Amino acid sequence: MTLPGANDRPVGLVENEFASVSVRIDGDGNSARLRVEDLRTGEARFLDPLQLEALVHLVDERLDQLLDPSADRWRHDS
Amino acid sequence: MTAVLDDLIHPDKVHGSLYTDQAIFADELRKIWYTTWVFVGHESEVPQANDYVRKRLGLQDVVMTRDKDGEVHLLLNRCAHRGNQVCDDDKGNSGSFRCPYHGWTYRNTGELLGYPYNQGYGGKNKLELGMGKVPRVASYQGFVFGSFAAEGPSLIEHLGAAAGEIDRLVGLSPEGRVGLSAGWLQHKTKANWKLLAENETDGYHPQFVHGSIFGVTGSPIGALYSDSSTAVTRNLGNGHSENDLRPEFRKFDEPMRWFGTTADRVPDYVAAMRETHGEDAERRMIEGAPHVMIFPNLFIAEIQVFNIQPVAVGECIQYATAVQLAGGGELNKRMISQSIGSVGPAGMLLADDTEMYERNQRGVETLTPEWLDVRRGLHREQVDENGFTIGTATDETGMRGFWAHYKTLMEA
Ligand code: FES
Ligand SMILES: [Fe+2]
Repeated sequence: MTLPGANDRPVGLVENEFASVSVRIDGDGNSARLRVEDLRTGEARFLDPLQLEALVHLVDERLDQLLDPSADRWRHDS
Repeated sequence: MTAVLDDLIHPDKVHGSLYTDQAIFADELRKIWYTTWVFVGHESEVPQANDYVRKRLGLQDVVMTRDKDGEVHLLLNRCAHRGNQVCDDDKGNSGSFRCPYHGWTYRNTGELLGYPYNQGYGGKNKLELGMGKVPRVASYQGFVFGSFAAEGPSLIEHLGAAAGEIDRLVGLSPEGRVGLSAGWLQHKTKANWKLLAENETDGYHPQFVHGSIFGVTGSPIGALYSDSSTAVTRNLGNGHSENDLRPEFRKFDEPMRWFGTTADRVPDYVAAMRETHGEDAERRMIEGAPHVMIFPNLFIAEIQVFNIQPVAVGECIQYATAVQLAGGGELNKRMISQSIGSVGPAGMLLADDTEMYERNQRGVETLTPEWLDVRRGLHREQVDENGFTIGTATDETGMRGFWAHYKTLMEA
């Protein structure tokens, strides 16, 4: 039994003037996954290898849609 | 304005009010800075996809970006919503920019990607808005220029013969490329921008103003700006001018003398040049780098580049950086240290010039004598084999070319 996070491998901070995100490889699961944290809100999510692979192959237009502030975050129903 | 300018600009003298009059400065912004091609930066400052740097074009705050496909854009740093400044860092890497005021988000090409709580606009993609862009962007050998005129002469037409001087600089790289990525020093200067543009190819002042650096460094350059020198001042047309020191360097016939060194002290560079350019390497290394003022604001001073941008009628900023030659080997480090020695915070060259600019500004603010004399060498000007007007190394031929083009633009 290990403490949560004890098996993490910090990757580093990815930031510019628009966003600050910290990235670690989480080792608490049965295989590795990426833990990405939005340092401006403290919210975090895990991304498993298949999700990351999907990101790599996302067409640019889909990625652009995610960047629309109304797409997922600042919505009328949120 | 035409009649007024005829009174103020003569072939042999220009009026002091050209450097102090607010209305003339406002007119220059419109007719020169926001019309003609103005140097903004270099492609090597945004080497990677989605890199960006903040720049100035006249009084405009400009973001130079490289999009994901490699194309370079000049965006105006202003949000299409309520006009907030979008980018604040001097440089960064981002495919999109989010305005901090209400979160409107733009692609680094200026296109609006979205806005928060879109029901307020009836949904997404409802607004035909985006960040402003400099209408025409073009580059030559990686030097990026912007023009606010949607139509007009092409950059190549504007550069004319000055393009060949940029080629000369690039021709000193064993790989045929230069970079301006060493970082820009910024010198706030309390002087009208034209005093700088005129001074850059004024071969009359170095012996006086730069006596101390020539003395301390034992530089042979001072002697090139004397009445016995075979160097020439050339009016390249379109307001551009150069001090062509090649006749002197050819006389000495020593590679790297232009840089104040000898071939054996930069062996890797010399070997790389010979490897790439064969027989022609010697000529290139003997003739050296250009000393050219490209209207209105790009000054290539052999080892370094200046970007001059106005701030107000009596103030401008000089941005200076060392040239880096692709494949330049040990020469690049030397270029940086020489550049720091001349234009760095404790540099001995630019500090002297800037002292003159600021004294010059204070001088022209006094009322009489009203004129600045630009007749030096007028009686001994010649036309060279390519049809360009030339004067001796110390003549004011470059200034007269500057004013002729200035007048054309201001009267347009
Ligand atoms: S001013 Fe930029 S989002 Fe409102
Ligand atoms: Fe000088």
